[in-house]
Amino acid sequence: MPVVVVGLSHRTAPVEVRECLAFPEADIPAALAGVRARGLAAEAVILCTCNRVELYAATDLDPAAALAGLRAYLLENRRYTGPADVAFYTLSEPQSLEHLFRVVSGLDSMVLGETEIAGQAKKAYDLALRAGATGRRLNRAFQRAFSVAKQVRTETQIQRGSVSVASVAVDLAERIFASLERCTVMVLGAGDTGEKAAKALLSRGAHSLVVTNRSFERAAALAAELGGRAVPFDDWSAEFARVDILISSTAAPGYVLDRARLAALLPARRGRPLLLIDIAVPRDIDPAVNQLDGVFLYDIDDLQAIADEALRQRQEEIARCEQIIRARVRDLLETAPGPLAAPAPGAAPAAPVTASPDPAAAGSPHAR
Amino acid sequence: MFEWTDRHYFALAVVLYGLATLYAVFLWRRGFRQDNRVIYILLLAGAGLHSIAMLKRGFSFQRCPVTNLYEATLFVAWTVAASYLVFGLVRRFRFVGAFAAPLLLGLGVFALMPGLDRHGPQPEFRPPLSSLHATLVLLAYGAFGLAGVAALMFVKQERDLKFNKARAAQAFLPSLQRLEVVMVRLLQVGFGLLTVGLVLGSGWLKQERGAYFLPDAKILWSLFIWLLYLSLVVAQGRFWQSGRRLAWAAMGAFAFVMLTFWGFNLLSDIHHP
Repeated sequence: MPVVVVGLSHRTAPVEVRECLAFPEADIPAALAGVRARGLAAEAVILCTCNRVELYAATDLDPAAALAGLRAYLLENRRYTGPADVAFYTLSEPQSLEHLFRVVSGLDSMVLGETEIAGQAKKAYDLALRAGATGRRLNRAFQRAFSVAKQVRTETQIQRGSVSVASVAVDLAERIFASLERCTVMVLGAGDTGEKAAKALLSRGAHSLVVTNRSFERAAALAAELGGRAVPFDDWSAEFARVDILISSTAAPGYVLDRARLAALLPARRGRPLLLIDIAVPRDIDPAVNQLDGVFLYDIDDLQAIADEALRQRQEEIARCEQIIRARVRDLLETAPGPLAAPAPGAAPAAPVTASPDPAAAGSPHAR
Repeated sequence: MFEWTDRHYFALAVVLYGLATLYAVFLWRRGFRQDNRVIYILLLAGAGLHSIAMLKRGFSFQRCPVTNLYEATLFVAWTVAASYLVFGLVRRFRFVGAFAAPLLLGLGVFALMPGLDRHGPQPEFRPPLSSLHATLVLLAYGAFGLAGVAALMFVKQERDLKFNKARAAQAFLPSLQRLEVVMVRLLQVGFGLLTVGLVLGSGWLKQERGAYFLPDAKILWSLFIWLLYLSLVVAQGRFWQSGRRLAWAAMGAFAFVMLTFWGFNLLSDIHHP
């Protein structure tokens, strides 16, 4: 009873299509029951996130027929009325298992190496398990996938570093401050990237936020959204003694903060470190402030370079991750009881099924 | 038949500390970008042999092995190693080993120098008050040594955060504030131990020589060290000196202790009769 998968993801379909085929959590148990009731599969799991909709199944049917039936079922169940050339990918063993392991390990995610998908996959599996939709094949496959994700995480660098400017800012803050909970963040200006960086800091524990902008209304609106308080732009330096992290993204033509001005403000800080994140172009903060004791200045180029380096390192790790995945799939197939066992020596391996009713549609999502 | 003495075990421990130091250089060049169980294991093995050496000596002489300069140095090194092994149980701090290894190697090589391991008709430090004095003072130096290690990590991390930003973002070192707290606490604990140790030493001096203070070279040196660390503790607590200045001062003070301890010990009639 091989494991097959049919689905679409951010690689093969735009969000307008994905959202039409997405499953609310409440609909999933009935959908799983429907798959089994129609005889399309003995076991099934539906994984639905903002970037993918996938149906994993263990089926006695011929893989090609099962995949065609599962694809049709998805379209019918979601009452999909969009364009007919929906780019599903369809995989059978061993590619289906490799795909599952890859997905759960974060290798197929929009942000390479992200860890959220593992939790989402666990949730999807738990839901199917509680609905009685899984059996021996999918139980083994998913439990092995979670183990592989852990192995990839511990043995490779695929999840190290941050690949977005906002996350890099948070990482740097954590290199300087023992705890973000005790940090006060000031947002100078109301730019988009600054807002994202502030949100990232708040999500990691910072809870004291001050916003200032030339337009007090905008500052107040952003402060209300983020749970902070607004101060008039002319008064921001008065707050400075309490600030630990300053995110600056104004539209000022020159420096808002230069070395002399900052040097005068530092004694009130009593030696506490200060992280300055200057996302503005032209820059708001004089680079010479980095020479001051206890002051750490990062501009947009610094943050982007760190993010790019982290992404490059993650990409270098892909080959090692693929090695681990292939080895674990081989091990799973060789140790599986019954018909799932590896073919006898000398026998030709079964060819993966990637056919789609629409010849123009994509096959494997990993074919590049 | 070759007999394994405690010095042989300690020499093996120093070899392991040396291997750990070599590995630390490798880690330094990689920007501390990997978790290193290797260095922890090397230092654990070294500390194990080190402990055997101390136990063998203690049992063979039927006393706590802190009676001459060799044993005193062993004791200080052992407190540094043991502190790291406890600290390094937390994976995130395992990295301190890259900085502790060279310190342990230096102390080990120093201890193994000929002439340090002398045993006269009676120990140089006689129990109980003088042994307690020696133990507390050596523990203080161990704390100062670890403070120096934390200070070195602080300086490294701070420099990278300012001037080598990509490396800083990838490194495994603890946060600057945490390193500063560790450094300050170790300085404070070490200063407390040193104060109590010197007071006990003064008490022992009164018992043996009838005076709480004598213008002996080692006593004057110890007083200078006490004032030096007092100034660090006061500067941090009262004048909010920045972490970088305090870190350099902590490293400089410990380097001074290490470089001058033996010389002043030799000049002392009381500590080196």
